[in-house]
Amino acid sequence: MKAEYLMRRVLYSLLAFMISVSLTFVLLHLMPGDYLHSILPYLAEKNPDAARMFREQFGLNRSISEQYLLYMVNIIQGNWGYSFLYGLPVLAVIEEKLRWTLVILFPSTVLSIFIGMAVGAYSGWINGSKTDLSVLNFMIFVGAVPSYWWAMLLILIFGFHMNLFPLGGYASIDALDVGVRISDVLRHAALPITALTISSVPGTYYLMRNSTLQTTGEEYVLTARSKGLREMEILRHHALKNAMLPMVTVIALELAQMIMGSVFVETIFSWPGLGLLTFEALRVRDLPLLQGIFLMDTLMVILANIVADLSYPFIDPRVKVGESV
Amino acid sequence: MSRKSAFKVGLLILGAYILAALSSSVITPYSPTALVGRPLDGPSDTHLLGTNDLGQDIFSRLLYGTRATLIIGLLGALLSVSVSTLVGTVSAYYGGGVDEVITRSVDVLMTLPSFPLLLVLTIFFAPSIFVISGLMGVLGGMQGIRIIRSQVLSLVEANFVYGAKAIGASDLRIMTRHILPNVLPLATVKFVFAAQRYMLMGVGLGFLGLGDPSVVDWGQMISRAYYNGGFALGLWWWLIPPGIAVTLLSVALALLGYGLEEEIYPRLKRSVAI
Repeated sequence: MKAEYLMRRVLYSLLAFMISVSLTFVLLHLMPGDYLHSILPYLAEKNPDAARMFREQFGLNRSISEQYLLYMVNIIQGNWGYSFLYGLPVLAVIEEKLRWTLVILFPSTVLSIFIGMAVGAYSGWINGSKTDLSVLNFMIFVGAVPSYWWAMLLILIFGFHMNLFPLGGYASIDALDVGVRISDVLRHAALPITALTISSVPGTYYLMRNSTLQTTGEEYVLTARSKGLREMEILRHHALKNAMLPMVTVIALELAQMIMGSVFVETIFSWPGLGLLTFEALRVRDLPLLQGIFLMDTLMVILANIVADLSYPFIDPRVKVGESV
Repeated sequence: MSRKSAFKVGLLILGAYILAALSSSVITPYSPTALVGRPLDGPSDTHLLGTNDLGQDIFSRLLYGTRATLIIGLLGALLSVSVSTLVGTVSAYYGGGVDEVITRSVDVLMTLPSFPLLLVLTIFFAPSIFVISGLMGVLGGMQGIRIIRSQVLSLVEANFVYGAKAIGASDLRIMTRHILPNVLPLATVKFVFAAQRYMLMGVGLGFLGLGDPSVVDWGQMISRAYYNGGFALGLWWWLIPPGIAVTLLSVALALLGYGLEEEIYPRLKRSVAI
């Protein structure tokens, strides 16, 4: 059962990956305007030879099906093509940017899950009370404000007016002399992390609140209460663990959401990660780079899904992998 | 604020926005694209919210921008909810092979990160508000299919469906007259939340420079003000109004959605005596 389930899971992931490869390939190749025309509009007219060499260099002169087959083989071999914009292997560019994205994505994911679950559990436990309702309303408001608007407000208030944090980028100008220091990077990362966290806490909060709400009527809660345990104790030791179960799958969804948020947040903060890279690649129609970014996004979501699935039985020993996950 | 009053407030604000969108050509003092004043003028009697760097009236642009945002949000949501209701109902009602194929495809398609895909598709089909809402509707329908399907699965086993079958009602009739009314409340909630999400995304695309260039939209207004020194120069009337407009609309839709949701699932209201 377990092996079969795992196999199916892996097969799905593989299928999803293949579809994503094919889809982006087809779409990106049908996109209006190629790199040659958007960056060097007169090259093809003035110097046909250079244009031809350019096409040959990047394999743009071959037939679509040939390009597709080559692309598939290359993807599997880890060669994701060359970026027009950077003139470097796509995977190398993405790898470097992915590291920067993770610098803000990882802390904000952890923070938002932690904060969202803690506040959500508390709010769900005391549901119906004044505190619960005001927290709920507050969270609805926070969640309704778009991430790009949070990002701008943060820059405006803490960066521009209070001058506590830099306005953007990832290191100060003196990094040229003394090198990139971790403390300096952290100071630059503080606002982007805050913006991403703020915009994803409400989602986690709301799901956790609902999940906790469901447990309040359970009989083991009644038993615990009749034993005379204190409310917070029941919540911590009995209700919380059960309420957390459905949250595991949320983490995967959260990540997909965060990828979207990071495009806006990184663009606004000029944070040199995948989000900003997406923005740049879209602007100059860098086909191979865009394909690479989408593949990386797909991979990240697939990976998060698998991790969530596999971690389920550890969190809840009653559930065996493959049964009613 | 109780859920009921939240619902009312949300409805009121949304109504005001719709009114503003419908009447913007009547009540705006200037054309949103005409150069009607000195660039970067502050708020005054002639220009309620001042002018931007081109000398366009910001108040007029703000009101006109309501149209694009509402169209993207509402049309996108309508499409996505229709797709998910249709596919979800058919999948659950017929079951068997049809259901298998649909569920598996949804499983696989849900793994694709939809936002990056939306970005590429928007570029591909050339950004126009109708293309954007169409794409969002199709891409965003996946999760809804699952939700509607699970709802219909329990309905298919209900006695009134058996009854309808027993008296010889056709599949189409059962689906439209007996099942649809029962998933409609759920679909309505999904519609409101989808409208909120798509509206935000639409403005976001405008901010990223992927908006419809032929219409006035808040995302483009924000991005223009932001990148051309709107806040570095302290020109709040340039940057803040479109931001507030998006936020307020989004909050209104959220209040509406949560209010509706609670009406539909009374269990959320269940309160335990502590």
